[in-house]
Amino acid sequence: MATISLRNVCLDYPLYGAYDFSLKRRLLGHLIREQGEMRIIRAVDNVTIEAEAGARIGLAGPNGSGKSTLLRLIAGVYPPSSGSVAISGNVVPLLGLNAGVNLDFVAEDNIALLLRISGRKPTRAVIDEIWAFTELETRMQRLPLRMFSSGMLMRVLFATATAFPADILLLDEWLSVVDEHFAEKAEERLQNLVSQAAIVIIASHDQPLLRRTCTSIINLDHGRVASTVMVEPPSTLPFELRERRA
Amino acid sequence: MNNSSESPRRPSVLHIFKIYYPDLFGGTLTVIRDICASLKETFVSAVLVCSDKGESREIINGVEVERVRSFGNVLSLPAAPAYPWRLWRRIAKHDLLALHAPFPLADLVFALGFGRKRPLVVHWHADIVTHAGLRRFVEPLMRRTLRRAKAIIVSDRVLIDEAPLLREFEDKCHVVPFGIDTTVYDWPKIEPHHVNDRGRLVLACGRLVPYKGFDVLIRAAVNRQFEVWIIGEGAERPRLEQLIRELGLSERVRLLGSVNDCERVKLMCLADVFVMPSVTNAETFGLVQLEAMAAGRPVVNTALDTAVPRVARHGMEAITVPPGDAEKLGEAIDTLIGDPERRRRMGLSARTRAVTRYSATTFKEGMETVYRAAVTAPSDEVAPAAEALQATGWLDSLRIAAALAWSDMRHRYVRSLLGPFWMSLQMAIVVAVLGSVIGQMSNADMMSHLPMLALSMTAWTFLNSVVLDSTTALQNSASLIRDRALPPVIFLLQCTFRQGLFALHNACVPLILWLLLSPHDLSRALAALPGLLLFVTCTFALSLVLGALATRYRDLKPIIESTLMLAFLASPVIWSAEMINHRSTVMRLNPLTHLFAVWREPLAGGHVDATSIVYVLVTLALLLCASVLTLVHLRKAAFWI
Repeated sequence: MATISLRNVCLDYPLYGAYDFSLKRRLLGHLIREQGEMRIIRAVDNVTIEAEAGARIGLAGPNGSGKSTLLRLIAGVYPPSSGSVAISGNVVPLLGLNAGVNLDFVAEDNIALLLRISGRKPTRAVIDEIWAFTELETRMQRLPLRMFSSGMLMRVLFATATAFPADILLLDEWLSVVDEHFAEKAEERLQNLVSQAAIVIIASHDQPLLRRTCTSIINLDHGRVASTVMVEPPSTLPFELRERRA
Repeated sequence: MNNSSESPRRPSVLHIFKIYYPDLFGGTLTVIRDICASLKETFVSAVLVCSDKGESREIINGVEVERVRSFGNVLSLPAAPAYPWRLWRRIAKHDLLALHAPFPLADLVFALGFGRKRPLVVHWHADIVTHAGLRRFVEPLMRRTLRRAKAIIVSDRVLIDEAPLLREFEDKCHVVPFGIDTTVYDWPKIEPHHVNDRGRLVLACGRLVPYKGFDVLIRAAVNRQFEVWIIGEGAERPRLEQLIRELGLSERVRLLGSVNDCERVKLMCLADVFVMPSVTNAETFGLVQLEAMAAGRPVVNTALDTAVPRVARHGMEAITVPPGDAEKLGEAIDTLIGDPERRRRMGLSARTRAVTRYSATTFKEGMETVYRAAVTAPSDEVAPAAEALQATGWLDSLRIAAALAWSDMRHRYVRSLLGPFWMSLQMAIVVAVLGSVIGQMSNADMMSHLPMLALSMTAWTFLNSVVLDSTTALQNSASLIRDRALPPVIFLLQCTFRQGLFALHNACVPLILWLLLSPHDLSRALAALPGLLLFVTCTFALSLVLGALATRYRDLKPIIESTLMLAFLASPVIWSAEMINHRSTVMRLNPLTHLFAVWREPLAGGHVDATSIVYVLVTLALLLCASVLTLVHLRKAAFWI
């Protein structure tokens, strides 16, 4: 059963300046007793989140309020400075689509590699299915990704990233680069993915999107939970899934 | 173990601690002994500890005590290398494990995931205070132990509030105050409210270790009238004796040494004031002050952030003074000495509190409840899943690293027309040129040396490239680490795998040369395999450590590059030991010499020097230790990139 339990979690993010990466400087600093003060910001401050299967949590807040950091913390990228993090279930973090892409490889190889990275076996059928979703020509499978336009690239990456369902899905805002037709399809698939996942956490500036998809919205401010809003169950209006962007 | 067979119905408990009677006397040991004694009817107890006096196994008061040899103490910890192993062997034989923390040696066993199937109860006696620097290394271990514990027992609520580590596991903590058998203090001749008219005897009791603060008590006795008797033995004795001499207090201050229980009870009842001068939070409860309270003595204790000032409360059973303040301590003692009525009043309420609040029965019931709950709790629910998850985690990491390396390999072939053979050709040219040059310098028969030269060059290229690649690997894969949450170790593994594939590929040059120029002796090649494996393992461990370090400290990369260049010249890669007249010191000290020797010697038909093997194994052990440390710190790699 998928659960997420964060208790009084804090994360002190060390800000390494150019000098902090220098061993010589650090050793010399010890020698001449000039202990350089390490700058630390508290990126996540005493956050407690309990989520069980079925939870749809939206993270909202201004830039730099710690949304992405909190997602990374849940994904296990950053260890918490204090507090306890207990997560059971298979976590799939989709925080940046570009991760692990090599533009020199042909599309097919990239898909295969990305699937391997997420622990799936890239069979012919799976790759074909993904390709079908992108609606690109079959022969383009054999082209290096460098030759794709950014929109086409996004299609490939999105299709690959969302090919398999997950227990716990962590999404950072990234549904913004594709053209309108594909955006519709993409959000449909995303909603489908969200509906299959046990727990979803979405970080977004887009309040309407959060209100549509989430059961509760956590507003973050300077790493602190400013407020938690429970969203009423969606009204009788049909899901307006589509996201229009200028 | 025999204890489980003698009475199958009673579950057996293994108490895990560093030391046991009669090697030492002290509060924690009293607690363990009391638990064993009071739970006699419901649990079979056994104790596993270390001892300086060597291995032994005996029955003390019906409790089986096994001691593991330790070679003295390092940083307050017994140096008992066999302890973790013995603990692991014992775990399966008991139904419940009771760890008396802090004891990092045992944490090590639990942190590594052994004994998951047995319920664990942690008795939290104290935080690590004395060697605070050690904390940073030990805390992750302790956290892992606490995470898997079924219950954590503390003697007072305040310990949970004061220890950040415990607060994380607050819901598992149970407060069970220590209790003592107060009947032994019903000394027939002395009524509990008995007050000595002379009123000058101050008693203190505890091991003679720095945190007990006996030096403060001795200083407090300067220019005062009372006499101080201190019960206990320990490493501080010479220092305390010297202090007493220096202050000229030999008349009034006495170190009584170890005293048996009966005698101690008598002394407790005779004393006028009991003092607990402890100076650090290592003193969490102060069992002896409870004994003094049971004997109806007023107490002077110190304002620590632990249960000490809460067991005997200021103004009611005790006077509490700031820790380490000899002046205040002396004043407080004088106040009590000079006021027999107050002493009597405090003594009475101390006795009442000890009997009602800290009775042996309450303690026993509390312990029994926690132990029973831990034994009956379903223990296997989460554990195997977590174990499997960990195992698949490692396997997945390996698989992903292999996939990435394989993709790198393929990519390399895609780019160049000559593809696979370009690099090998380059290697062949290098070997040919070097071979002829060296052939000129030494008049040895170069042709027979060529296969070995080619192989050495391949091996060196492998080591060199793995280490160089690893210094940038983490930065190059920043997005995968931060956005897909892949463990950083994957990318260091990737370097070794990738260069391994390249090396296999380049190995065609030495292979062809070997087939052409040498007698084909396959058994030699087989004999070289273990050495080659050592070589690869060392390379990987080295790349792990340097890769992480170079990511954290960016100025290391140029240093590593130039060091590798130097190492290449100083090691017998292109030249061999026979070419120079005598084995130079630099060469002998250079671990690379031996790292090459362990597989080159068998391949050349000789046998490996024992020194080389020892040298390589020691290097490997050091590297592995460093790797483990690195892996712990690699969790923070996402901050560095």
